[in-house]
Amino acid sequence: MTLHVAEKVVIITEKIIAKGVCQIIDGCGATGYTIVPAGGKGSRNMRSTTERASVVDDFANIKIEIIVNDYAMAEAIMDQVKDKYFNNYSGITYLEDIKILRPEKFS
Amino acid sequence: MDFLADFLLRLLAQFQSPTLGFLIGGMLLVACGSKLTIPDAIYKFIVFMLLMKIGLKGGMEIRDANLAEMFLPAVITIVIGVVIVLLGILFFSFISSIKKEDGYATAGLFGAVSASTFAAAMVLLEEEAIAYEAWVPALYPFMDIPALVLAIVLANVYMKKQQQGNTTEVNVWGIIKESLQGSALSALILGLALGLFTTPDKVFGSFYEPLFRGFLSILMLIMGMEAYARIHELKRVAQWYAVYAFFAPIIHGLLAFGLGTLAHYWVGFSPGGVVLLAVMAASSSDISGPPTLRSGIPSANPSAYIGASTSVGTPVAIAVCIPLFIVMAQTIFEV
Repeated sequence: MTLHVAEKVVIITEKIIAKGVCQIIDGCGATGYTIVPAGGKGSRNMRSTTERASVVDDFANIKIEIIVNDYAMAEAIMDQVKDKYFNNYSGITYLEDIKILRPEKFS
Repeated sequence: MDFLADFLLRLLAQFQSPTLGFLIGGMLLVACGSKLTIPDAIYKFIVFMLLMKIGLKGGMEIRDANLAEMFLPAVITIVIGVVIVLLGILFFSFISSIKKEDGYATAGLFGAVSASTFAAAMVLLEEEAIAYEAWVPALYPFMDIPALVLAIVLANVYMKKQQQGNTTEVNVWGIIKESLQGSALSALILGLALGLFTTPDKVFGSFYEPLFRGFLSILMLIMGMEAYARIHELKRVAQWYAVYAFFAPIIHGLLAFGLGTLAHYWVGFSPGGVVLLAVMAASSSDISGPPTLRSGIPSANPSAYIGASTSVGTPVAIAVCIPLFIVMAQTIFEV
């Protein structure tokens, strides 16, 4: 088994801007992404992960993971999301070095 | 003096209605740290059910209604939505400690309409046997959409002035589209269309109508729980929001009651319709308004306007305004 070095961009932000963030990801040329519901505590507020009925559901948080094998592309995604959204919406983004199988899936 | 005593007695009786009981019960549960949770999916389903029922009933009634008699109430509804937003912006412009965008967003949210609040008003009117035209709830979008559009457009004009043209153009049609696509309005409009063009009388009578009250009581419980859970958010923003959120529903409702009374004498708008119109004005949006405002005025702090609406505005609209307007209608129109 041969593992290949790749980059994983993680963006934790508000569900309401998910569509716009995904447009940026697609626009930068990434081949895919994974979105999962997220909760926790940050500078703006406590976000719950409970099943409790919430009157304003769109303010839930999500975690988006994007695997790319091009460092410049990873930087471009992070930069564009930060410039477009992080002044007004809560969010964090970070980059991880990872190892992947089947690198052809990501290019 | 008799008038006042009578008024107070009737007001007291309203507080014993189950609808308000469930609301206060929900608040108490959270205050006591109860672990009871009602799943989000159920909340969404109930909102759909209530709006479908309201839409179907409205649609079936519009089939036989005289469109001319809807005209003046519809115009009044639009005027109220616009006036509420302007009043709100005026109020917040006097308070220098509040960020302008937050003021615009809060005013917009209070101009928009809460479906659950007016559903509660409909049940209470039925309990008191005060008649209203079934098309009155269909006026909902006439207040909701102009209020949201106006608040977002004014906020963007203001932001543009501040930044010398750095912001993007406001897309008015985009805001209208987003409001219409929201879960509450889509269900209401689909219900209206089904009521108008099909004959849903059987499914309405055997399913939607009988379940309406029961589901509303659960919805009131959820609203109460949410109101109490959000109070801590309100504590983090300026106290002025709480002041505004307490008095605005009463003032907006009285304004609408006055205009509705004029319509009553001019075109025979029913007393129940006047109450519903007033409740619509008193309510602040809880389902469709916040996401629309969040994307329309992204720099406004959602804790400010949602906290103000959910934890103060809505409970005041349900627990104070509805009983008050019903008793006013009973006293003024003698129904």
